Amino acid sequence: MKNRFFNLTTLSLVLSSLLLTFSCSDDSNDIIEEEKEESSRWITVAAARMGDNPGDGNGGTLIYSISSEDAKDPTKSIAPFDNGFIVPSNRTARLQASEDGSTIFNISYAGDTGGNYSKYTVNGGQNFTPTGSEVSIAPYVGSAPRWIKLFDGDKTGSAVYVSTEKIYDDKGTEDETDDTYLRTEATMGVVTLDLENSLIKNFQEQSIPLSSEEEANGYYISRIDMPTLNAAGNKLYIGARLSKVDPTTGETDREGDVLGSKTIVLDYPSLLNPTIISSTVGYGNTNGYRSINAFLYNGSVYQANQGDPNGSHILKIDANNQYDNDYVFNLDDALGVTGAYVLAWRPAANGKAVLAYRHDGSAEGVAGQQGFFALIDLEAKTATKIDEIPYEADFYLFQYQGFAVDGNEIYLTQAPVGKNGNIYVIDTETGAVTKGAELINVEGSHFIGTW
Amino acid sequence: MSPIQRYSSFLLFLVSYVLVAQNGNLKGFAKFDNDELVLGAYVALKGHDLKRETSTNIDGHFIFKNIPYGTYEVSIHSLNAKPKTVEAVISSSEQTVNITLQITEHQDLQEILVQTKTEKRKIEDEGFAVNVVQTKEASIRNIQTNELLNTTVGVKIRQNGGLGSNVQYSLNGLSGSAVRIFIDGIPISVYGSSFSLNSIPPSMIKRIEVYKGVVPGHLADDALGGAINIVLQNSTKTNFNASVSYGSFNTFQTSANGLYRFEKSGFTVKASAFHNYSDNDYKVWGGQVKVTGLGGQQTPITARRFNDAYRSTGGMAQIGFTDVKWADQFLVGFTGSDDYKEIQHGAFMTIMPYKNRYMESDAMLANVTYQKEDLFTEGLNLNVHGLYGKRNRVVSDTLAWAYSWNGERAIDYQGNEYEYSWGSQQEKIEFGPTLNHIDRNVASIRTGVSYAINEYHRILLNHVYSGINREDRDEFAASFENTFAGTRDLHKNIISATYELNAFDGKLQANVFGKHYQQKTVNIDPFVNDNNEVEDEIISANTKNKGYGFALSYAVLPNMTLLTSAEKAIRLPNETEVFGNDGDNVVANPSIRPEQSNNYNLGFRFGTFSLKNHAFTISTNLFTRNIKDRIGLPLETSLNVNDEIILYENQGHGKSQGFDAQLNYTYKNNLAFNFNMSRFNLTVVNRGVEVDVPNTPFFTMNGNLRYSLKNIIKKNSQLNLFYTMYFTGEFSYLVPQGTNTVGDEFFKVPQQLAQDFGLSYSFPKNRFVMSFDVKNIFDKPLYDNLRVQKPGKAFYLKLNYFINKP
Repeated sequence: MKNRFFNLTTLSLVLSSLLLTFSCSDDSNDIIEEEKEESSRWITVAAARMGDNPGDGNGGTLIYSISSEDAKDPTKSIAPFDNGFIVPSNRTARLQASEDGSTIFNISYAGDTGGNYSKYTVNGGQNFTPTGSEVSIAPYVGSAPRWIKLFDGDKTGSAVYVSTEKIYDDKGTEDETDDTYLRTEATMGVVTLDLENSLIKNFQEQSIPLSSEEEANGYYISRIDMPTLNAAGNKLYIGARLSKVDPTTGETDREGDVLGSKTIVLDYPSLLNPTIISSTVGYGNTNGYRSINAFLYNGSVYQANQGDPNGSHILKIDANNQYDNDYVFNLDDALGVTGAYVLAWRPAANGKAVLAYRHDGSAEGVAGQQGFFALIDLEAKTATKIDEIPYEADFYLFQYQGFAVDGNEIYLTQAPVGKNGNIYVIDTETGAVTKGAELINVEGSHFIGTW
Repeated sequence: MSPIQRYSSFLLFLVSYVLVAQNGNLKGFAKFDNDELVLGAYVALKGHDLKRETSTNIDGHFIFKNIPYGTYEVSIHSLNAKPKTVEAVISSSEQTVNITLQITEHQDLQEILVQTKTEKRKIEDEGFAVNVVQTKEASIRNIQTNELLNTTVGVKIRQNGGLGSNVQYSLNGLSGSAVRIFIDGIPISVYGSSFSLNSIPPSMIKRIEVYKGVVPGHLADDALGGAINIVLQNSTKTNFNASVSYGSFNTFQTSANGLYRFEKSGFTVKASAFHNYSDNDYKVWGGQVKVTGLGGQQTPITARRFNDAYRSTGGMAQIGFTDVKWADQFLVGFTGSDDYKEIQHGAFMTIMPYKNRYMESDAMLANVTYQKEDLFTEGLNLNVHGLYGKRNRVVSDTLAWAYSWNGERAIDYQGNEYEYSWGSQQEKIEFGPTLNHIDRNVASIRTGVSYAINEYHRILLNHVYSGINREDRDEFAASFENTFAGTRDLHKNIISATYELNAFDGKLQANVFGKHYQQKTVNIDPFVNDNNEVEDEIISANTKNKGYGFALSYAVLPNMTLLTSAEKAIRLPNETEVFGNDGDNVVANPSIRPEQSNNYNLGFRFGTFSLKNHAFTISTNLFTRNIKDRIGLPLETSLNVNDEIILYENQGHGKSQGFDAQLNYTYKNNLAFNFNMSRFNLTVVNRGVEVDVPNTPFFTMNGNLRYSLKNIIKKNSQLNLFYTMYFTGEFSYLVPQGTNTVGDEFFKVPQQLAQDFGLSYSFPKNRFVMSFDVKNIFDKPLYDNLRVQKPGKAFYLKLNYFINKP
C-alpha cells in the first residue's frame, strides 16, 4: 500500500513537470509604431547581437527604423535588440539602403538562403515589408557574396567572387620533385543585379593576372570586393587583396613585402576587359571589410586602403581610371597617430566624410581594438578626431557597416560592446555634432551603423 | 541423569560436534551457454533432511553456507533457460560448483525481455548514468541502429537526411568531439565511416551502452561528454540468422550472422555480413528547393533528391576457440567494409544541389580477441582486443556543371547551361575538381585485467592504445603540391585503474576510477632547405593529463535505488587544433590545453513495482556538466582579417544542466509501454558574458508502445504491434532574442512530432519472423538541422530467419 502511494506521487510529479514544460511558450508581439513627418526620412539602425563571444555579432542582425527627427532627439530611446526585425541571414547581413532610406536591400550571407536577394520597404519601427520577388546570385558568386549597391540611383547591385588555382610546371615528367611553381591563376566573377525588378542583369568571369614579375614572386589576387562605378558610368572599380605563396614550395608565405594597393578596372555594363591599376602612394588591400570602401566624389573615386604598413591612406582614382599618385592623404599624418586603419567611412556630397578607424594606440577592448570617429576633408586632406563622441576601450567598430547620409549630415551609432549609447549626427559642413536618440544595448552586443 | 542419558547426551554432543566440524560452504557460479551471467535465478539445495534456497547475485554467484558433508542436488531455475539440476558432493570446507544453463529455444518474448532486463540491470546497477539499449527487438524490425539510439533518454541524433547521411550524436547537450563512440571498447575512429552506426545492422549488435557524462574506466578515451559503446554479438553458441528487408526509396538491406562451434574441440567459426542500399530519393520542398529561370527568377517545386544514394557492404569473420581450458574466447579475424554515399548538398539545402559529389570509404582490419576468466587463479580475468589495418576515404567532386533541384542541368539568367566558377559542386576558393584521398593506417589495442579479491572487492586495470597515421593527397592537385603535403601521426594511450566494491548484500555498489591520458601527435611537413633539397620538418607534441571519477549505487529500499556518479573528464585537442591544417589555413597552437569538464549525475530508480498484472519502473537523472577551457576559434578582428589564418584557442566555460526521466510499464505479458523525456539548458560564458547555446534541441520526448497477441492465424505464433513517437521541442539557430522581435521564425526549427507504426509476426517455431514498419505515418516534414529535410512517410518489409537465437 505504501509503495503504491509512492508510485502515484512520483507519477503525478512526472506528469506535472510535463505539463509545465508544455505550457511555457507563447508568442505575441506588441507592435511599436514609429511616426515620420513628410519632410523627414527614415533612419534605420542596425544592431548585431552577440553569438558566443562578446562583440562577435553572430547572434543575429536586427534593424529598427525611426524618423530622422527622432534620431536627433536625445530624449528618444530605441531598443532594436528587444523590438527589432531580425534580418534573415545566417551570418551578419550585409545591408544596403536606398539613398532616401525608404528601402532596405539585403543579400543573405551563408546558410541555406545564402546569396538570396531581398528587398524591404521601411515603414518605421520593426515594420519592414518584403517587396518584389527573390533572386539568388549564389550560382554565380557563391552563397556568401560580397556585394554593394552601386551609386546609380538605386538601380543596380554588384557582387564579386574570386577563385584561385595554383599552376605548376611538371617539366613534362612524372617525377614530382623537379616540378616548379609557375603562378596562381585568379578568376574573377562579377554579377550585376537589377534591384528594381529583382533580376540578374549580367555575369562575367575572367582571369585577373598580375604582372609576370609579381606572379613569379608568388603574388596573386585572393579576395575582391567593393565594386564602385566611376563618374562616367563606363567603368567598374573593384578592390583587391593580395596573397603570396613561397614559389619554392607553393605554400602560403605570410612574410612577403606588401605591394602597392591595386584596383581592378573593367568596362561597364559589359563587365569585360579587366585591367589592374596600382598605387605608388598606398600599400595594402583595397577590398575593405563590410562597409563600402570607395566612393565617387567630384568626378573621382576615393578609396581607403587597409593593412598599409605606413597607415591607411585615402587613395584617389581619377576620371582617366588611373591612380592619382600626386594625391597623398595619409591618415597617420593627418590624425597624428601611427598605424591608422580605416574600418569604415562615408563622405557627404560636399567631400567631407566621417571615418571610423583604429590605430596602434587603440586600447585592447573586450572584442578587439578600440575604434574612433574622425571628420575628414577629401580636398584639404585633413582628418580630425571627433571628440564630442565618447570613447572607451570596448567601443568596437571593426564590424561597422553603414552611415546614413541626409544632405551634409551623417548619422552614426555609438555604443561600446554591451553598453548603451546614442545616435550622433555630424554636420560635415560645420563639424557640429548632435547627440541623438539613445540606443539600448544588451550584453556582449553592439551597433553596426545607420542606413 | 542416568549414565545412559549422560552417554547419549555425550553422543549427541559428539555427533553434533562432528556434524559441525564436518560442515562446508558450497559456492556456485552460473552462466548461460552464451556466456552471459545468470542473475537473480532461483537456486535450491536439497539433501536428505535439508532444503535451502537462495538466488544468484548479479555476478552469477551464489553460496550455501554451513552445509553438512554429503551429497546434494542443486537445482537452478531461471526464466530464460531450462531448469537444471546437478549433483554436488560436499566433502571439504569449501566446494565450488559451476553450472551452465542452456537457454530455452522455445522461449516466448516475455522471457527474452526478462533476460535482457537482467543483463541491462547489471550494468545499470553499477551507478553510472547509463542506458543499455537492447537491439534484440529492433533487429527483427526495420529499424536502424541510429533510430534506436534516438529513442534513448538523453540521446539526440541529428542526421542530415536519410540512410547513410552524416550524423551527430548529442548526450545531455554535449556533442561533437565531446562524445566518443566505441565498438567493443575500441574507438570507432579506428574503423572509419564505413563500419559505423549507419552501416552495422542491429542484428550484429548485442547491445549498446550509452554512458552520459561519466564513463567507466574500461572505456578509455578522452570522452568529455559521454560515450556510446557498441557491443557486438559475442555468444559462443552455435546459431545462425539472416534477414532481408525492402522498402521505400528503393531501400534494400540484408544481413547474416552465424557461429558454429565444434562441441568437442571448441573450435569456433564466426561470421557476419551486411549489405545496405538506398536511393534516398525522398521528396523535399520549401526553403530553397526551387528552380531558376531567365533573369534568375525562382519557382518553388517539390523535388525528389537525386544525388543521395547510399551503399554499404561489410562483414567480419573470425576463427578460433571458445570455452576451452586456456581461453573463454580466442579468435582471430578480419573486418572489412566499404561504403559509398552521394552527397546532395552541404550543411544546408541551398538553391545549388550537388550532382555527382560523393564520398567513398573502406576499412580492412585484422582483429584478435582473447578472453579468459579465472586465469591462473580464481577471480583473475583477462581480455585483450586488438585491431590493425588500413582505412581510406575519398571525397570526389569533379563536375563543374550546375544542377537544379529538378535533377536537370540548371540554366543561367540568359537560359544557358553553365558551370560554376569554382569548378566543382561545392563552393570553394580554390578552383578546380577535387578528388581528395585520406589514407590512414590504424591500430588499436585494448587490454583489461580484473581481479576479484573476493565477493566484495574487485580491481580492474585497463589500457587502450590507439594510433592513427594519416596521409592526405588530392589527385587533382599538382603532383608538386602532393609532394609537400604533410603526414600526421596521432598516438593515444589511456590507462585506467578501477576499484569496485560490493557491500551490504549487494545493496551498495561503488566504483572509483582514475584515468591517465597521454597523446602524442607528430606532424611531418616537407620543405625545401637552403641547398634546394626537400627536407622534413618534424614537430611533435606530447600531452599528459589525469582524470578521475566514481559511480555509486545504493538500494535505499528494495524498490528504490540511488545512482550517482561524477567525473573530471578531459578532451584532448585534436590534430587540427594542435598542429593546424594548411588546407583550411589553420595554424598550429602547440600550447593549447585540453578541454576539461566536471560532470555530475544524480539519479533514482523506483521500481519495479508490481501490482497484480501491472509492473512499472520510473527512473530519473539530474545532471550538470561544467566545461572549462572550451576549444574554439577566436573572433575575426582588423588585426587578423587579412592574415587568412586562424588558430584554435582555449576560451571560456560552458555548462549543461538538466534532467532525464523514464517510465516503463508492462501489463501482463502483452503490453509494454516506455516513455522518456529529457530537458536541459546549455550555456557558455565567454569573457564574463553568459549566453544560451543556439541550435540545440533541448527538449525531447519519446514514447514506445508494444502489444503482443498470441496464436493469431496459427497456433504458437505471435504478433507484436509497435507504436513509437518522437517529439522534439522547437529550437532556434540563433541565440535567444529580445521579447518583442520579429523575423525570428526564419531561424526556428519548429516543434516536431514523428510517429512510426510497426508489426512483427513470429511464425510457429520461431524460425521465421516477418515485420512491417511505417515510418513517419503522417508524412510530416522533419528537420534536425535548419530546413534540411529528412524522409517523409516510408514503408518497409523484412523477413528474418533464425536457427538457434543467440
